[in-house]
Amino acid sequence: MTLFRLALRSHRTGAIATAVIGGFAGFINSVAYVSVAGTTHAERLVFAHEMALVGQQLSYLLPRPVQLDTIGGYLTWRAFSVVAIIYAVWAMLAATGAGRGDEEKGLTEAWLTAGVARARWLGTRTAAFGVAAAASIVVTLAGTALGAAIANDPLALPAVSAELLPLLALTLWGFGVGLVVAQLVTTRRVASVTGGIVIVALFTLNSALRAGADPGALKWLSPFYLFDRSAPLLADGSVDVPATIAGLAVAAVLVALSVWAFGHRDVGGALIRGRAAADRQRRRPAADPLLRIPVLAGVDQQRGWILGWGIAMAVLGYFLSSLARTIVDGFKDIPAMQIYLQRAGIGGYADVVGVIWFSTALLLIAIFVVAQVNAWAADDAEGRLEMVLAAGASRARIVLERIAALLVAAGVVAVVSSVGVYLAGKAFDIPVPADRLALATALVLPVVFALGAIGHALVGWRPRLAVLLVAAVAVISYFTQEFAPLFGWPDWVGRTSFFVLYGTPMTSIDWGGAATLMAIGIAGTGLALASMRRRDVGS
Amino acid sequence: MTSAIHTEKLTKDYGAGRGIFALDLEVSEGEVFGFLGPNGAGKTTTIKLLMGLTHATHGSATVFGLDADREAVAVKHRVGYVPGELPQFGGWRGSEIVAYIAGLRGDIDDAEVEAIAKRLDLDLGRKYREYSHGNKQKLALLLAFTPKPALLILDEPTSGLDPLHQQEFYRLVRDARTRGATIFISSHVLSEVEQICDRVGIVREGHLATVGTLDELTGIRAHRVRIEFADAPPAERLRSLNGFEGLAIDGRQVTGLYRGSFDELLGAIAGARVATLESREPTLEEVFLSYYSGATK
Repeated sequence: MTLFRLALRSHRTGAIATAVIGGFAGFINSVAYVSVAGTTHAERLVFAHEMALVGQQLSYLLPRPVQLDTIGGYLTWRAFSVVAIIYAVWAMLAATGAGRGDEEKGLTEAWLTAGVARARWLGTRTAAFGVAAAASIVVTLAGTALGAAIANDPLALPAVSAELLPLLALTLWGFGVGLVVAQLVTTRRVASVTGGIVIVALFTLNSALRAGADPGALKWLSPFYLFDRSAPLLADGSVDVPATIAGLAVAAVLVALSVWAFGHRDVGGALIRGRAAADRQRRRPAADPLLRIPVLAGVDQQRGWILGWGIAMAVLGYFLSSLARTIVDGFKDIPAMQIYLQRAGIGGYADVVGVIWFSTALLLIAIFVVAQVNAWAADDAEGRLEMVLAAGASRARIVLERIAALLVAAGVVAVVSSVGVYLAGKAFDIPVPADRLALATALVLPVVFALGAIGHALVGWRPRLAVLLVAAVAVISYFTQEFAPLFGWPDWVGRTSFFVLYGTPMTSIDWGGAATLMAIGIAGTGLALASMRRRDVGS
Repeated sequence: MTSAIHTEKLTKDYGAGRGIFALDLEVSEGEVFGFLGPNGAGKTTTIKLLMGLTHATHGSATVFGLDADREAVAVKHRVGYVPGELPQFGGWRGSEIVAYIAGLRGDIDDAEVEAIAKRLDLDLGRKYREYSHGNKQKLALLLAFTPKPALLILDEPTSGLDPLHQQEFYRLVRDARTRGATIFISSHVLSEVEQICDRVGIVREGHLATVGTLDELTGIRAHRVRIEFADAPPAERLRSLNGFEGLAIDGRQVTGLYRGSFDELLGAIAGARVATLESREPTLEEVFLSYYSGATK
């Protein structure tokens, strides 16, 4: 029971975070539906028709829209498709933590040497995750139901409850994937990246199906396809029992495979391991000159990670930009969407790139910053900060170097991703002005500066809370940007969002917003310097 | 002789009696000073204060006349440091860690790195996570000794080292001392301190209990002795020995904490048939309790 309680505790933060995000997404989409679709049946039919046309353009990302004249249909299309991705990614990350992260911390070894069997260790971690995931999904569903009730369009309780099983099956499937991958590599970071690639690949497989392609029996491999088959919130919808059972069965098989692999590998090693090369011993420091240069040393240490982010974002940028022509042409015939495009400042193809790509890019860059803040917090907890200070670096230097290295790294990621967007423009004949693209890319940096500086101030104050708080700033900024125009929130509310302050520089540049972000960055850096100066390190 | 380390009423109070309290300490230049104490006594807290990693609640500390807190950067350029808890560098190679720290310090010579790596038999080509605990400790020692600092602050530096490399570590300390370096070494192993230190400070429950040379603190040299005799033990001769504390004779078995000369002990049991003779180093807490209970009698 102690093991189970500790395992449950290790999934606590993730469960709370996904419950907050999922619950908020469900709540806000429920309220938003009534606000934008109207309350009469006639209004909703018009809305459904227009959204159906939009949905067909977005079938790469969202399922095919059905019954958008009902709140259940809208939530199935707009809310749960996104929530499903969040849960799958969280599950994969949680599994790499359980299957590899705990090993890196020495926790697995401690439990195994205390007499816990390997199968029991992984089994307990899986069971605890299942409980945490179920609790998180219940909160998400409760948030959704609450939003619908507040909007005076209540959902049937059995229908909302029925959403639990397909979502749980998908989540456990993500956990299974993460757990298997964790057995094949030696670090959590590599496991997370590999698991992410697997999830993206299987999501893309389902996307192809949504877009009309027929991948044949391969489609059954994608858990997103299995999830899409259930739609209990639709008027005549239900849970697809065979698909849900298949999802749960695959998850069980993946966990069983992981248990088998864990039993056959060395603790700390991968399942398949080559023999160590009989190379000569090395006695001298690394020749890499970048390691000895301030700021660049910080960037050099994570070159693979930065390049990976850049390439992944470039691919996504290419893909989303390639849709620009389809989206604009598709929206032209929809009066409501014309108004929406007008409000969003979208007139041409390049504007779509500015709005759709850069809002996505900012979110991804914000996640990149959150990962850096997490690394700063870990520097202290894992003794690296102590070593750096002991080597004679001043506390102020550490703060300034970290923020500078973050700006350089984020700059590299932003530039590489914009290259993907530019190439898509060339390939699909979308006129993307290079100078505007360069400026829009450069203006990402004030956002990074503001978020990073706040993150560092928080790390100096409460390292354990810093990651959660800076992630909350990013998520709230994103949702404020999304929903402020929808609900007609006052302008000042929108201006609290870092993403709104960034604006849409492909269309018009908000210099005031950029100046505000810089001011936040400078203030945050000042606070970071003060908090770093005051704190005790390694105690 | 000038002070390498000087503290006045140095206090770090974590609450609940944890921390270090009103520490007055003086370590001279060129001295090898042992800072002894059981686990949780306040050794690491003191070292973190000297390194400017934590801030004192009261009092002050100076290193070569520099304030350890306000002038921490200048202090650290004159100090080589081995932390009590080794950091985690994950997938970095040893050679990359050395290059990175060398970049920060600016005073690390590649040839010196090579020489010390060879002495410690440390392969810098391997990833840090693949290092054993002993190899991680060797890397920390290499980083501390390579810059040839004026002061070495070493927090339990032999932890995880095998006996062979412990000897190499002692040689490194002697070399550093020969070139004039001051060494401040914390430990809870008495024999280690005896090997290399000129003076010893004993800290217990956050308070400095005593400071002196090993000769001045003769009472702290002791052995836990157990002798199993084949026949009746020579009880009277054993009782007449100086420095046999807590002598207990139970049938044919004799136990006690012995601080005297082993020549005298062997003389006392000469002629008796000894089945087993064990002598081990007592824990510091045992010595400490015995030493102070003796002192207060």
